[in-house]
Amino acid sequence: MEEKIISKEDLLNLCKDVIGNGHTLITPGKTEYTVVKDTSEIVLDTTAKPTKASYKTFVFPKAEPVIYYKRGKNDVQLLDVEVEQKKTVILGAKPCDTNSFNILRHLFNWDYKDEFYNVREKQFIVIGLMCNFSDNFCFCTSVGSSPVSDKGADIFLVPLDENNYTLRVVTEKGGEFIKDYSKYLNAGDEAKTKAVTDTVKHPEIAFDSKQVHEWLGTNFENPKWDGVGDLCLSCAQCAFVCPVCHCFDIVDEDYNYTEGRRMKNWDGCQFGHFTLHASGHNPRDIQGKRYRQRVNHKFKYYVDKFGEILCTGCGRCSRGCAVSIDIKEIVSNCKD
Amino acid sequence: MDDLRKYAAELLEKGEVAAVIGYQQVSEKRTKPIIAKTAEDCAKLVFNEYCLNNLAVYLTKARVKELRRVNGAVLKLAITAKPCDVHGIVALIQESQLKREDVTIISFNCAGVVKDFGMDFNGETLATKCVPCDTHKPLYSDMVFGEEKETPKVSDEVLAKIESIEKMSAAERFEYFKAEFDKCIKCYACRAACPLCYCQRCITDKTIPRWVESSAHSRGNFSWNVVRAFHLSGRCIGCGECERACPMDIPLSLLNRKMVIEAKEAYSYISGRSLETPTLVGSFDVKDSDELFM
Amino acid sequence: MSEEKWEPKIVAFVCNWCTYTGADLAGTSRLKYPTNVKLIRVMCSGGIDPVFILKAFERGADGILVSGCHPNDCHYNAGNFHARRRWEFFDELLKFLGIEEGRLQFSWVSASEGKKFVDVVTKVTNDVKAMGQFKAYKDLNDEFTAKFPEPVLNEKEIIMSEEDAK
Repeated sequence: MEEKIISKEDLLNLCKDVIGNGHTLITPGKTEYTVVKDTSEIVLDTTAKPTKASYKTFVFPKAEPVIYYKRGKNDVQLLDVEVEQKKTVILGAKPCDTNSFNILRHLFNWDYKDEFYNVREKQFIVIGLMCNFSDNFCFCTSVGSSPVSDKGADIFLVPLDENNYTLRVVTEKGGEFIKDYSKYLNAGDEAKTKAVTDTVKHPEIAFDSKQVHEWLGTNFENPKWDGVGDLCLSCAQCAFVCPVCHCFDIVDEDYNYTEGRRMKNWDGCQFGHFTLHASGHNPRDIQGKRYRQRVNHKFKYYVDKFGEILCTGCGRCSRGCAVSIDIKEIVSNCKD
Repeated sequence: MDDLRKYAAELLEKGEVAAVIGYQQVSEKRTKPIIAKTAEDCAKLVFNEYCLNNLAVYLTKARVKELRRVNGAVLKLAITAKPCDVHGIVALIQESQLKREDVTIISFNCAGVVKDFGMDFNGETLATKCVPCDTHKPLYSDMVFGEEKETPKVSDEVLAKIESIEKMSAAERFEYFKAEFDKCIKCYACRAACPLCYCQRCITDKTIPRWVESSAHSRGNFSWNVVRAFHLSGRCIGCGECERACPMDIPLSLLNRKMVIEAKEAYSYISGRSLETPTLVGSFDVKDSDELFM
Repeated sequence: MSEEKWEPKIVAFVCNWCTYTGADLAGTSRLKYPTNVKLIRVMCSGGIDPVFILKAFERGADGILVSGCHPNDCHYNAGNFHARRRWEFFDELLKFLGIEEGRLQFSWVSASEGKKFVDVVTKVTNDVKAMGQFKAYKDLNDEFTAKFPEPVLNEKEIIMSEEDAK
């Protein structure tokens, strides 16, 4: 890991170059991560609240065609979709967001290598930014991350003072990327960076994920689950703003009677129809069962399968919930 | 607050109601709904300017309806409702989703609520739905708490925005709404949070044929948002829950408010105000305007 | 399609008992009306769901006509009265959303008004012709289809091979 110092002005110059080189630059906007057209839009604020939506839509779009088809009388012709080759740089991602690709990568690569995800992720450069924000919903420290963690980032920024940032190259991909912009970099000072990161207030650890994992293993039928979902209104806000929720639905959309495309759309486990069978039977017929699935998937099944918790602790789902259902509170209650 | 808690606990104790749907405080400036089934739960009930939710949405949920069955008897449900939420309950009764005798309405004199949790309550943070509000006392209730207070006077931003949109050309308007709807991710939080979106099966969930595309691309988003706004025309009570629930900040209240104004201007009708009148779109008058038709 | 050759596509949702019969009368009376209009017969103007309109726009309709029995003439007594309130809202909503006035038009045409049917259809066609193609709605997926163009497949191979023809 290599640390450098970059001035704020040069950071903006770097951004200008990135856009000039034809890359897509993304920064946190008011509600969602947005594509930057002009560098004057860039605000790097460590105390900013996480955006309402995460940036997963840039690697795993909310709706995308996976194949085109044309029906003939006796056959169907298929046409593949090419994923666009364009380098995307994300600037100012929160540490809870940067970790998301590390988690998602497993899912899209375990039995079938999902080209759509992989091609996009490969072109993605994540520039993380230390976080100085914390509210009642943050719990990154409980899922193994922290406000100063550079896990998942290719490059990590720490503001030293008003005009200077420490730029830490975390991955090879990040090193490769920053090579082109080395003219903006000065020698770094690790002691100074440490002095800044040490002052950051960490959210309190709310639960021990290992204990939660253990409890979930033996408490599938626990009556506690029964009441959990009574307040839930069954929308998918929590799943759709989540940086790592990845369920999708496959739908065919016709242009006309013979041509159409097959779409991959986001789907969410809190919808009542998510598990509704064609027979009319619904194995997760009540909200309690659906919420149990949500918690189990995040803190048990995914851990068993890939060794990662399917949660970055950003707290978006709880912060945005119309009825204030707090996942931190529910998971903290996963004990006897 | 104590009299509310006492009253709610009494209702439960007397076996009059099966549960009290109310608000509980979760942090200093945030509340969340609670379905109180015991006296212990009732001790958590609160009412203040952070009670943003419209709890009427719960009255049509299957799980909540089930709660009414206690030991073979079917009891009432009690609900704490702001005067504007009472409109929602009235609209549900008008649309035969609920019977007046099945619900005990505990209401409040209300001076408005905040835009979002965590804000101090003052003129600037008054929720947009409260700005044009004319019902500070509940129209229907079984019990009213709280003293009458003065509502802060604030300019009506939504109305101003509607007026500015109406001044645009058709193409500009189309572009404006296209950009707003493009943000939609189809989480259907607007639908879930709306007390009047009670359909067991929404038209968007129907697949054969699929009238509203489920993909969250411009076309699918446009038809969903048009259909949502249309299905609420003349029905929307203006509680603003859809907009508050929207994670992508789509200004849904613009559309809702526009249709509320339309209903008021064309038919002098405001949804959820009277149990005696039939619903606007469920009824007709032979003397309705024929202007639209050649 | 070049601009000069462009002809508007008009979809008309008409009720079985009045307007459709009116159109029939226009036919049997040998009245002439623009061929741009495609009639879709429904049982009552009260049974036309506004999503039909949206779907028609999505699929490239340039103009839409909704037509039913005159008030008080409804075969089902009140269908058109209910429809009238609903369309009033829908029309207002679409206008607010920026769909030009005139793209969606309404009329009452009775079974005996073959002439009125001709007039209405001619008016809608002329209005829409003056407005030009309605691309805005059809192109809502523009950026989407630009990125992922509509499939260009080898038509000969699939549509009708010689074997299929047999």
